[in-house]
Amino acid sequence: MEDVIQAIASGILVGALYALIAYGLGLIMGIMKFLNVAHGSLLILGGYVSYWIFTLWGINPYLSIPLVIIATFLAGLILYKLTLSPLLKLPDIEMRVANSLLITFGVIYVLDNAMALIWTPNSRSIMASYSGEAINIFGVKLSLTGLCGLGIAILVAVALYFILSKTYLGKHVRAATQDAEAASLCGVNVQRTYLISCGIAVALAGVAGVIVVSSYSITPGGGLSWLLIGIVVMVLAGEGNINAILPAGIILGLVESASIFVVGAPYRQAVALVIFIIVLMFRPQGLFTKKRTDVYYNS
Amino acid sequence: MSTITANWKKLLPSGVVVAACIVLPMVMEIGTNILNLMVMLFIFIILSQSWNLMGGYTGQINLGLAAFFGCGVLATHFLWKAEVPIYLAVLAGGVATMVLAVIIGLPTLRLRGVYFAIGTLAFAEVLRIVVGNIFTTWVKMPGSYVATYSLLPRYYLGLVIALIAIAVVYFVTNSKLGLAMVAVRDDEEAAQVTGVNTFKYKVLTLLISAFLAGLGGGVYAFYRLSFYTMSQVFSPLWTFEPVMAVMIGGAGTLLGPIIGSFFLVILSEIFALKLGEAHLIIFGILFILVVLYFPYGLVGSVDQVRQVMARVSRSRLWKAIH
Repeated sequence: MEDVIQAIASGILVGALYALIAYGLGLIMGIMKFLNVAHGSLLILGGYVSYWIFTLWGINPYLSIPLVIIATFLAGLILYKLTLSPLLKLPDIEMRVANSLLITFGVIYVLDNAMALIWTPNSRSIMASYSGEAINIFGVKLSLTGLCGLGIAILVAVALYFILSKTYLGKHVRAATQDAEAASLCGVNVQRTYLISCGIAVALAGVAGVIVVSSYSITPGGGLSWLLIGIVVMVLAGEGNINAILPAGIILGLVESASIFVVGAPYRQAVALVIFIIVLMFRPQGLFTKKRTDVYYNS
Repeated sequence: MSTITANWKKLLPSGVVVAACIVLPMVMEIGTNILNLMVMLFIFIILSQSWNLMGGYTGQINLGLAAFFGCGVLATHFLWKAEVPIYLAVLAGGVATMVLAVIIGLPTLRLRGVYFAIGTLAFAEVLRIVVGNIFTTWVKMPGSYVATYSLLPRYYLGLVIALIAIAVVYFVTNSKLGLAMVAVRDDEEAAQVTGVNTFKYKVLTLLISAFLAGLGGGVYAFYRLSFYTMSQVFSPLWTFEPVMAVMIGGAGTLLGPIIGSFFLVILSEIFALKLGEAHLIIFGILFILVVLYFPYGLVGSVDQVRQVMARVSRSRLWKAIH
């Protein structure tokens, strides 16, 4: 019984991190219909920035998050300007998605090799004084870094909810998502809205990278497995359904920790991917949406 | 066959190249380095032609090529180890890969557009994880295989299978299946409405593509006798690099993947000596530029340049100068 509760607890903590990874992907996919497969590599980039700050100045990874956000936000702006914005000219949405997939594959190649050049291909992680520590609540151990991840994921979820529903930027984003042409006729600067949301999405990848580097480890080529997790969560939540990402991530985390009991830890990720394929086949609209809809924002 | 006789002038240069590839190693001593490079070039040509059938002609981005390649390697390696003649083992590797393609293809081909890409990538990753967990130790051939190792048979097997792959792609794309493939790529819904069973044709194309990729894996298994980790042949790089070769060379053309593979293998060798890892960054940037600005790749950009030149030579300014 204790094992089960422990598994549920760690599943929730891991799931929060998964959700955090999926937020950036879901934003770009929901708003612009781009599939940014370089998301995993950008996550690793954020991890390296945090690692650098930690080793050069000794700043705690969780305190360096604002700096990482600024750095990866800029990276997101560059990514959008150089690679994604030319794709907006394509008339067909499906073509746009497919080409964004190919182009961001090129970005993976560039980023991964550049990172291997700068930070060497060795695996890096930040060992802070509290890294291995856990809090004991009623006999259930909760790792400190995992709890931080959960806290940040909830913070991001709430912040995104407020930004999208209460601010002008959010209104612009929703308008541009529903109908970019009509929005620009009404005076919404669609290009700028896209630019900022791409920056936010990549910054979220960077935040996820900080948590990954402080509780796991990063290598330059390691972005792909994180990317796949992000995509799985995004599809479970339903394409463009931002509010469902946190519950979807936690469901994935729970399924993974349950699968450790059934098939053993080495096959954990394979189980997640198989579930992903099954969901994709039978419920392509995700677990949380009743029927397929193009409006990404459910209030 | 009439098209072939009509185009004999076009076929002549490629015939010369093929003849040179066949004859040169027989009449003169060629360095091991070059032979190694050539074998890798042939493997890349096979893989990129295989991907081109799905990605270039049918418009379905298959990111599970590594699974097909790895399956071919795995099947061929263990059959050959069980003392099946290598040519049969390679063929069996191709057939085994077709079986895998049915398993992967039936669920994923129902997915549309980009989700087919992610689904196949997910399948390939599942296989990589499973294979990595099954074969945890060094997989290698017994010593007698190593003692009789020579590069020339690998070279000729690679050459023959690369030629087969090119021929298969040529004949498939010039058949009724080829028409259906292009119809699926250009507008799948319209093709369905006019009575093309798009799912059937997509499965057929995937089967052929998988067979070719499996043969490519067979060549690699014949070429590399030992694998430090078996999951390396399922690494996503075996998908990405052929995709890059096809896109840089020109998707949906017969020549594009060949030129792209040549570019990737030969130039990466030249660059690697001077720049180290940096050549991969250059390839990434080149790939992005090609996808953004030359959707038909290098082969297509030749046509684009020719059109621009023709326009210039027709213009008044040009005539005024001359």
